[in-house]
Amino acid sequence: MIAAVGTRRRVVVTGMGAVTPIGLDVPEFWASIRAGKCGVGRIENFPLDDLYIHIAGEVKGFDPAKHVKSKKIQYGERYSWFAGRAADEAWTQSGLPTPYANPYRSACIIGTGAGGYSTVETAYRDLFINNKRATHPLTLLRIIGSSAASHVGIEYGIKGPTFATCSACSTATHAIGIVLDYIRNGLVDVGVAGASEAVLTYGSMRTWQAMRVLSPDGCFPFSKNRNGTVLAEGSGILVLEELEHAKRRGAKILAEILGFGMSSDAKDMVNPDIEGPRTAMQMALDDSSLDPSEIDYLNAHGTATSLNDANETNAIKLVFGEYASKLAISSTKSMHGHLLGAGGGVEAICCIKAIEEGFVPPTVNYAERDPKCDLDYVPNVGRDKPVRYAMSNSFAFGGLNAVLVFGRPPA
Amino acid sequence: MDEVATKIIEILRKHMKEPRDDIDLSTALTDLKIESLDLAMIVFDIEDSFGIEIPYNANEEVEDFKTVGSVVDRVKQLIASGPQAAGAKA
Repeated sequence: MIAAVGTRRRVVVTGMGAVTPIGLDVPEFWASIRAGKCGVGRIENFPLDDLYIHIAGEVKGFDPAKHVKSKKIQYGERYSWFAGRAADEAWTQSGLPTPYANPYRSACIIGTGAGGYSTVETAYRDLFINNKRATHPLTLLRIIGSSAASHVGIEYGIKGPTFATCSACSTATHAIGIVLDYIRNGLVDVGVAGASEAVLTYGSMRTWQAMRVLSPDGCFPFSKNRNGTVLAEGSGILVLEELEHAKRRGAKILAEILGFGMSSDAKDMVNPDIEGPRTAMQMALDDSSLDPSEIDYLNAHGTATSLNDANETNAIKLVFGEYASKLAISSTKSMHGHLLGAGGGVEAICCIKAIEEGFVPPTVNYAERDPKCDLDYVPNVGRDKPVRYAMSNSFAFGGLNAVLVFGRPPA
Repeated sequence: MDEVATKIIEILRKHMKEPRDDIDLSTALTDLKIESLDLAMIVFDIEDSFGIEIPYNANEEVEDFKTVGSVVDRVKQLIASGPQAAGAKA
């Protein structure tokens, strides 16, 4: 494996962008993470009507006219606005030219778990309740799950592989993993990768309520009092680039992506298996040629459901062995909520910032130790600690697992 | 067994992978090999059948869902308090 690292193309991150309930760009988002700020609150963006779940991680104060540069994307839907904004931040930071000079050597893979949910809801209300003659002409283009990827690709003149991934809560991590592979394998030299999600609508909340997995009062990952996840919205996007390509143009390298692993439980839609997550983490470690003890921080999937957190803890123990009890693990979902498909994007950013600043984000709202979750979850207060390598876990409904490993910029 | 109990056992059987004939009020739900999503569907079916709303969170172990009898008691209670008062908002 070590020989393979020497010969294969290496992939680095040269740009990051985020839209989250605790920050509309990476600096604001990371400052909130460092401060342990929680973005979960009472829903304000739409009427609650008869909902009995009243909380979510909403992106507040987002004005497309102000926060989205592209006029074309302003005409898109909320999930594309978030992607447009996050991609703009990442692309600008990377310093890549617009349009990209070698367009067929670039990729744009921006996933979404659900696409234009609020547009579906508005259109169906118009048709079925308001007896409107027709839906808004842009309805279809706003709904489709490839909308954000297409919009962003148009913005930067990306003409290589452009599409969306869709794997529920692993969507962004799969997108980043695919672009990593495309660059390693020589298909492209740069790529925009991540996901966007905006499913906070009345109808969507009703579908989640019916599954009975949402917490009525907060997101408490790994804590004994955890009682469900909290939905959130936003986008997390990276610019990936082949190492020599980045060096040649003198780009500032933020991190290296060292490993990727993916697996499927092929077992159950909601009950996670231990073998799938274990295999994905092990694959990512093997791909990185790292020993488990070299991982200094693990950004857990940590949804705060009773099932996930206990199962993830057990899977971590299998992979990390005795070192598991020394590993700093946190669920940043305790602060930004569950961004579903976009979660892996913002959590990748947490890993990169953790490496950059030597700071491990906390798991806030941690109240009580659970015998089923007995590792170090960095409760409530973040920790100054050198981070050489960080792992990010994404495990989705359907048993779809994806794991990334990040490291410091190559010397 | 009364009508409510019979109906609830019928709903439970419908959602079991291997329906059993020996379900009575003392049967523990954990013995029925019902998984979390199945329970959400059972609760949905019961709500639909009796016109009630049951406050249930899959992340919590609740006394009301320990045995078939405790489910029947809770449903009867919710029926008695009427569709408005039975809301999961409680």
